[in-house]
Amino acid sequence: MTAPATGVSFRPGELETRPDGTGNLLGSRCRACGAHFFPIREACAGCLSDDLETVRFSTEGVLYTFSIVRQSIPAFEVPYALGYVDFPENVRIMGQISGCDFDDIKIGMAMELSLEPFGEDEDGNAMTGYRFRPVEAHND
Amino acid sequence: MTDVHVVGVGMTRFGKHPDSDASDLGAEALHGAVADADIDPRVIEAAYCGHVFQGMVTGQRILAQVGLAGLPLSNVENACSSGATAIREASLAIRAGEHDVVIAIGTEHLTSKFSGALTPDPSDPEAAVGATMPGVYAMRARRYMEEFGMTREQLALIPVKNKKNASQNPLAHFRKEITVEEVLASRPIADPLRLHDCSPVTDGAAAVIVMSDKAAKKYANGRGIRLAASTLRSGSVDVEPTSMTYEPLTWVTALEAYEKAGIGPEDVDFAEVHDCFSIAEVLRVEGLGLFEQGQYPWAVERGEADINGRLPINPSGGLIGKGHPLGGTGVAQVVELVRQLRGEAGSRQIEGARVGVAHCRGGKAVGIEGAACTVQILVR
Ligand SMILES: [Zn+2]
Repeated sequence: MTAPATGVSFRPGELETRPDGTGNLLGSRCRACGAHFFPIREACAGCLSDDLETVRFSTEGVLYTFSIVRQSIPAFEVPYALGYVDFPENVRIMGQISGCDFDDIKIGMAMELSLEPFGEDEDGNAMTGYRFRPVEAHND
Repeated sequence: MTDVHVVGVGMTRFGKHPDSDASDLGAEALHGAVADADIDPRVIEAAYCGHVFQGMVTGQRILAQVGLAGLPLSNVENACSSGATAIREASLAIRAGEHDVVIAIGTEHLTSKFSGALTPDPSDPEAAVGATMPGVYAMRARRYMEEFGMTREQLALIPVKNKKNASQNPLAHFRKEITVEEVLASRPIADPLRLHDCSPVTDGAAAVIVMSDKAAKKYANGRGIRLAASTLRSGSVDVEPTSMTYEPLTWVTALEAYEKAGIGPEDVDFAEVHDCFSIAEVLRVEGLGLFEQGQYPWAVERGEADINGRLPINPSGGLIGKGHPLGGTGVAQVVELVRQLRGEAGSRQIEGARVGVAHCRGGKAVGIEGAACTVQILVR
């Protein structure tokens, strides 16, 4: 298992990271109708209320679909697995998949948020980003 | 309110054009449309130019090249729907009574701007984690296979069909037929999609001249094809995760077009749809209501979407076969519709075609189902 990622969040508006290596994806919850959104929005697409609060999403969800990306832009080393995970708050969030072989990835798998080193900022400081990994991969 | 008629169409060869740029290509397409309409170019009153990566005032550079500078012109960017959006703007200017003769141009010199996999804008949260357009469509293909049992071989039949059609289109990027085996042996891009499942990086331009009833009466000599509807919608924000194997955005855009044209999907004789990837053709035609959800791969297997089939799809070769110069794509689709409806499509002619649909869909932003979607209905 990779060491806890301790860099600053690669995108603080979307991923909150804490000094103990834990973190959450952030989004909005509509106080009027309860709908959730990722990323943070200024108004609810369901009811148009602007009474939204920023919330931390659950860290476990279900893999909706995935692909192994074999051609990308230079910032990303290929191949990598990319997937959409559905979270209990009724949001679907894209992320790379880590912690398992490509051949073991299956639609419907239980996935969890994994904070991992995710490149460097312009000054060369390590950044922390997120990937999703199978819940079973806990003790690898 | 006046109807809108497509009177002149022109396009360049689609492919790689190392010795020209987006304005050269646009000018060639414009000249083609003017010649096809057989009009004095000075009767054109306004212009719209769709492009994505060509920079500021590409449309003005085109008009300057052909001596038509001075016209009111808007450059239009709507990702892969840019050209189609230019046609819609042109049609609105006519329906509003502001102009009688308007040209819509779509152009892109893509090989000089870009290679490899297209990605969303770098500011997008999904781009930040490695989203690519092939990757997103690959995920949709994977989910479709899981839900409906489509096989990889069935999906390969779509590029086989479209490249067969392109082999009959002298302006297509690819003129060579391919086999299912060649699709399955081509380089993997984003599993399960391979190189032959993807539209190519293409340079090209197309132009159409649209006219009011009054102008068509004067200039069209009976060759006008009625643009019965031209609709545009933007993707809405999902309030909950929705199916990625169905396209509500395509359906609402189509439904508005069907209503405006006074027809239903059952009246459509053929369509040019946005097959940026093989799976995209499946999602488009089902989203347009032309085939039942979850059934198109079997219809393709039965030959229903072939040029001589029940409902030909992408007779031009589509984006996969004809090529995909982003801004040029939506205009070139309408060029194909007009040529088919006039009976001028040569060896790829669809017999007795009367109603054609063109569909574009482009762009990706986090949390919305597609960015810009257009549907055009042409009726002979
Ligand atoms: Zn709400």
